Amino acid sequence: MKGNEALAEAAIAAGCRCYFGYPITPQNEIPAYFARRMPQVGGTFIQSESEVSAINMVYGAAAAGLRAMTSSSSPGISLKQEGISYLVGAELPSVIVNISRGGPGLGNIAPSQSDYFQSTKGGGHGDYKILVLAPSSVQEMADLTILAFELADKYRNPVIILADGILGQMLEPAVINPSLQKIPEKPWALTGAQNRAANCIKSLLLDARMLEEHNLRLQKKYQSMSAGEVRYETKHTENAELVIVAFGSAARIAKSAIKIARAKGIKVGLLRPVSLWPFPSQSIRTLAERGVKFLVLELNFGQMLEDVQLAVNGRAKVDFYGRTGGAIPTPSEILKQIETCRSKICSINYKEAV
Amino acid sequence: MPAQASIPLKLKELSNKRDLLAGGHRMCAGCIAPTAVRQILLAAEHPVVATNATGCLEVSTSIYPYSSWRIPWMHSAFENSAATAAGIEAMYDSLKQQGKIPADKRIDFIALGGDGGTYDIGLQALSGALERGHRFLYVCYDNGAYMNTGIQRSSSTPRGAHTTTTPAGKVIPGKQQFRKDLTKIVAAHNIPYLAQASPNNWRDLMQKTRKALNCGGPAFLNVMAPCHRGWRCKIDIGIELARDSVSTCFWPLYEIENGILKLNGETKQLADLKKKADAGDEAAKTKYGQKKKPLTGWLKQQGRFAHLFKPANEYVLNELVGRVENDWNNLVEKDGKLF
Repeated sequence: MKGNEALAEAAIAAGCRCYFGYPITPQNEIPAYFARRMPQVGGTFIQSESEVSAINMVYGAAAAGLRAMTSSSSPGISLKQEGISYLVGAELPSVIVNISRGGPGLGNIAPSQSDYFQSTKGGGHGDYKILVLAPSSVQEMADLTILAFELADKYRNPVIILADGILGQMLEPAVINPSLQKIPEKPWALTGAQNRAANCIKSLLLDARMLEEHNLRLQKKYQSMSAGEVRYETKHTENAELVIVAFGSAARIAKSAIKIARAKGIKVGLLRPVSLWPFPSQSIRTLAERGVKFLVLELNFGQMLEDVQLAVNGRAKVDFYGRTGGAIPTPSEILKQIETCRSKICSINYKEAV
Repeated sequence: MPAQASIPLKLKELSNKRDLLAGGHRMCAGCIAPTAVRQILLAAEHPVVATNATGCLEVSTSIYPYSSWRIPWMHSAFENSAATAAGIEAMYDSLKQQGKIPADKRIDFIALGGDGGTYDIGLQALSGALERGHRFLYVCYDNGAYMNTGIQRSSSTPRGAHTTTTPAGKVIPGKQQFRKDLTKIVAAHNIPYLAQASPNNWRDLMQKTRKALNCGGPAFLNVMAPCHRGWRCKIDIGIELARDSVSTCFWPLYEIENGILKLNGETKQLADLKKKADAGDEAAKTKYGQKKKPLTGWLKQQGRFAHLFKPANEYVLNELVGRVENDWNNLVEKDGKLF
């Protein structure tokens, strides 16, 4: 199954019956899949006239209490940011998928992780947080999509899935495990106020005191997300002297490099954040206190690097290696970085432009 | 302001002009969009600055580090070709006022976009620029879907067409909606000049381009541009399909100049025959029947409509044919009148 298709089928398994999208490469298989599948399961597929409309259709469907999602790729996600901020403000559970591509601007359609800041630091306006999940395989494209819908409902907050063109386009076997959780009751939803008081969903709170209270409540929610929803994978970190921190497709390449390095007797491990927000800062801190060095590997020029540096807070050396614009590092390229990291002090390396 | 007379279009002279869209671009073989763009640029009598919305034309003519454009050309995003053109035109005005561009130096501005970038996501920017009255020509090359991203429906896709987001299946036979009539939406902006054209009639398209660029305000051209990838047709019949889009009255050629609608070319001939035939002229009726090609023949050449010829989907075919016929009848009524 293609990653994009596994993600779409998993969304259906999670009970998503409303999909709203707009064409942009490399995520076009998602709307095409829903266009075929939604009518079969009694759901709704709408191709909107722009990304701005698609995200606001999600707003409408989520307000009515339905599991709704949209997907796009980097430039389209930028257009959705206003809507995402409104979804957060109105506390509407929803899933937003970014099969990201090289930027800035139109960039290209090749894989990239340069939307890390936009996803984890709030791409839209206002003081908000969004759960960000980063799959690393086609199986995870499916599993994390189901999780995304569950978390969205649990916290009444949008969830972003940040993948890239590699994960969206590649073929791998995947099992779609139906969601075990029941879709929770949504007494706040706009379902017609017969025999109950009218519900109200909005993000406009003109009174300063009321808006502050609303924000304080949101912050409390973010604290509980931050405490309860950290997800990561570790590999060979127990005896590692150097730990590579990488997510998504970069982590897959790191795994291959680690395998080669381990065969050479280099004690290197991997920490792969699955949730990019909340970030696994505590685990990184613990490793730093143990005295390991870090090599942050990203398909950008150093975005997650800042979160690693914050977690380490000067306790350990943090190296960085990044490729961008759709360039994919090879395992041997990373191996070279592993070998140089061990012998020199902290530095930031970019691939020299050819 | 009435369109000013300009130098007549002579093939001999045109053939000496340099193509402003160079060969070697990466549009598909058999694509009609670059043909249309070449004709439009060849018709321009003054230096042209172009903006381009995201789409096949933009991507395939500007693959870094190459450019096929022999004119200043700018792409910004999907939704804002008209806005970018408006900004450039405003800058031109300002530089002229400041004396940095000579008062007699005329530069023309053309914004280009496909139907996705014009009918859908770019409509807001287009409408804004038309209403503000920028002196620019917006050209939509209409191939009836988002071909660049892999054939998704647009609001220009005809009823019943198969696209990847309106797949023709056992239950739903392709696109469920009729296409949007963008040319008439643009007409509602009361701009000095707008037209519908097709590159099979190159003289008509080029004359319209000249009128548009000389109208002194915002102008709009909606240009038929068959796409064999999306239409699922033979690679070498693009111009034939463009011609038949006119002779079936799916894509009538007309212009609206200062509010007056005028049918052009083959469309005008068909309308005149139809009027005579409706008045009881038997000879005209026969000739009209011969000249106006049946829409089904045009549809049959395109794989995107193949499912409409199954008995179960006959109703969709009838709806599509009926709508085209109805639109045609209404248009004939309006010929020579205030739109």
